[in-house]
Amino acid sequence: MNNLPKTGNETKKKLRPAPWQIALIGFFLFYMFLPIVSTYVFSVATRWDRTILPEGYTLEFYLRAFQSSYFTITLRNSLILSISTVLTSLVFIVPTVYWVHARLTKAKPLLDVLMILPFGIPTVVLALALIQVYNRPPLARSPELLIGAVVVYSMPFMYRPVSNALQALDIRTLTEAGQSLGANVFQVMRRVIFPNILTGILSGSLLVFSTVFAEYTLTSLIVGARFKTFPLLLVEYTRINGNVAAAFSVISFTIAWLASILILWVGSKGQAVHAETFQAH
Amino acid sequence: MAYLDLKDVSKSFGGVAAVKDFNLEIEKGSLVSFLGPSGCGKTTTLRMIAGFEQLDSGTIRLDDADITTVQPNRRDIGMVFQAYALFPNMTVRENIAFGLEMKKTPKKVSEKRVNQVLDMVRLQDTAKRFPHQLSGGQQQRIALARALAVQPRVLLLDEPLSALDAEVRLVLRGEIRRIQSELAITTVYVTHDQEEALSISDKVVVMNKGIIEQVGSPEQIYRAPQTRFVATFIGTANQFHGKVSGKDSIDCSNVRLFTEPLKGFMDGQSVVVLVRPENIQVQAEQPGAGRWNAIPGIVETITFHGAVTRLGVNASGQRVVADITVANNKPVSLNQKVWLQFPPNVCQVMAGEE
Repeated sequence: MNNLPKTGNETKKKLRPAPWQIALIGFFLFYMFLPIVSTYVFSVATRWDRTILPEGYTLEFYLRAFQSSYFTITLRNSLILSISTVLTSLVFIVPTVYWVHARLTKAKPLLDVLMILPFGIPTVVLALALIQVYNRPPLARSPELLIGAVVVYSMPFMYRPVSNALQALDIRTLTEAGQSLGANVFQVMRRVIFPNILTGILSGSLLVFSTVFAEYTLTSLIVGARFKTFPLLLVEYTRINGNVAAAFSVISFTIAWLASILILWVGSKGQAVHAETFQAH
Repeated sequence: MAYLDLKDVSKSFGGVAAVKDFNLEIEKGSLVSFLGPSGCGKTTTLRMIAGFEQLDSGTIRLDDADITTVQPNRRDIGMVFQAYALFPNMTVRENIAFGLEMKKTPKKVSEKRVNQVLDMVRLQDTAKRFPHQLSGGQQQRIALARALAVQPRVLLLDEPLSALDAEVRLVLRGEIRRIQSELAITTVYVTHDQEEALSISDKVVVMNKGIIEQVGSPEQIYRAPQTRFVATFIGTANQFHGKVSGKDSIDCSNVRLFTEPLKGFMDGQSVVVLVRPENIQVQAEQPGAGRWNAIPGIVETITFHGAVTRLGVNASGQRVVADITVANNKPVSLNQKVWLQFPPNVCQVMAGEE
């Protein structure tokens, strides 16, 4: 398919996917969706070990999930953890990336390497190292330490989209253009740079939110039962009742999904408000 | 008293001097070009005027006030960039209104002003579009309109046409000059394109390696270059190396060239004689004796340039180029023996290196 089309006939042929391409895409979709669909089905199945499809359906497991004594508190903890991580990332990472792109381009390669490190260090190692270094109260094994850890762990997810969005802009020239028109640096940031990287910031926030919401290793090792989050509860239930664990998975998935929609909605609203202020002017 | 006055301005980057002892006075309402090869310091000087670079030493005065350390957004100096630098998230109207908004201009005044400058650049119907929906030439017109909307005291243009096609470049440069004259706005134009600089400027500043080589009107720069750099950078010039012999002649390796009476040169001093290709006439026959210079040679190359044809002639080892117009000359063929003729007054004599 990499051959250049030589005749009109061949060009036409290229437009239609070949059977093997359809098969490949089909396999990919199957591979991606099978676990999710299975989890959904398992969460409402009465018994599913002797037949291809479940023998019956029930909402009982959801009832048990919602009635679990830890349900609300773990959900609350997970939300606290995810939201504060997103906010911390926004406060620290976004201005840093802007600064590096605008004024300190020499430091960019360094930052690029730093941002790969969290992928290279196993979370178990990161957790144990943090526990050893911060072994005194009030930080030791505190939720605050956990937030610090997940900020580091999820850093690349905020850095990449924001950095890419900034890369696509000629920040220095745009800033200078704004200044030559009488705007100070903050006005340029607010009116020109920020609206243009908003999409990057939003997708970064989304990635961080969903990553942290599903984070298990760091939470389990650093705070454990002192600050139980949703994934901890979920794992706990895999040992008690697989169906309830599946119901938890579905709930977790739905929350991440709703959060995505919320963030996107806030973003589009922000842009709309922005456009309106311009129009009003 | 000049309107914009740069005195002893110097700037270096990491120990490398970018601009050295730059002194220039710019009159109100004039268009001055900074012309030179890349790295000559022209853009750095422009950026210092805009306030984007700090001076190492020297002062910049605008309208009799020292602006050397004034923040860029408080200088009232507009700028147009090579890369347009329109704000991608704003429509054309919003882009142009941005500066007025920063100045807290009342809405009605601002709207009127936006329409005015859109008229000026002849792009009234693009007001609601976004920059990415416009062509490069249109974007640069909008950038110009945006810079002009706030009625800056000085307009700076940093290679504004370099990213555009040849055709658009030609049209837009005429437009820039027209608008500049209409508004009588003091303008500094940076370019590496000599034709551009010569065609639109009141005054051209030729720069090389951080220093000013020559300041003058386009005619002066072209006809009376004061340094060899200017002579060779602007247009094409044939160079004949030789020594002064007598009060109006130069002894070159194989010919003797007659010039206007020489002033300020010593007998035997090494000099370079510069002759522009368009000042050389090409004859098939040996001319009669006279005060005109006549050098024999063989035609080696013929390049058609439209209005003129450029000949490359080998004159006893020295390569000489001459431009001929079809109307004034008989056709010439390759390897033909010709005589190159030019009067003494087109010979520009400059001190050569020892």
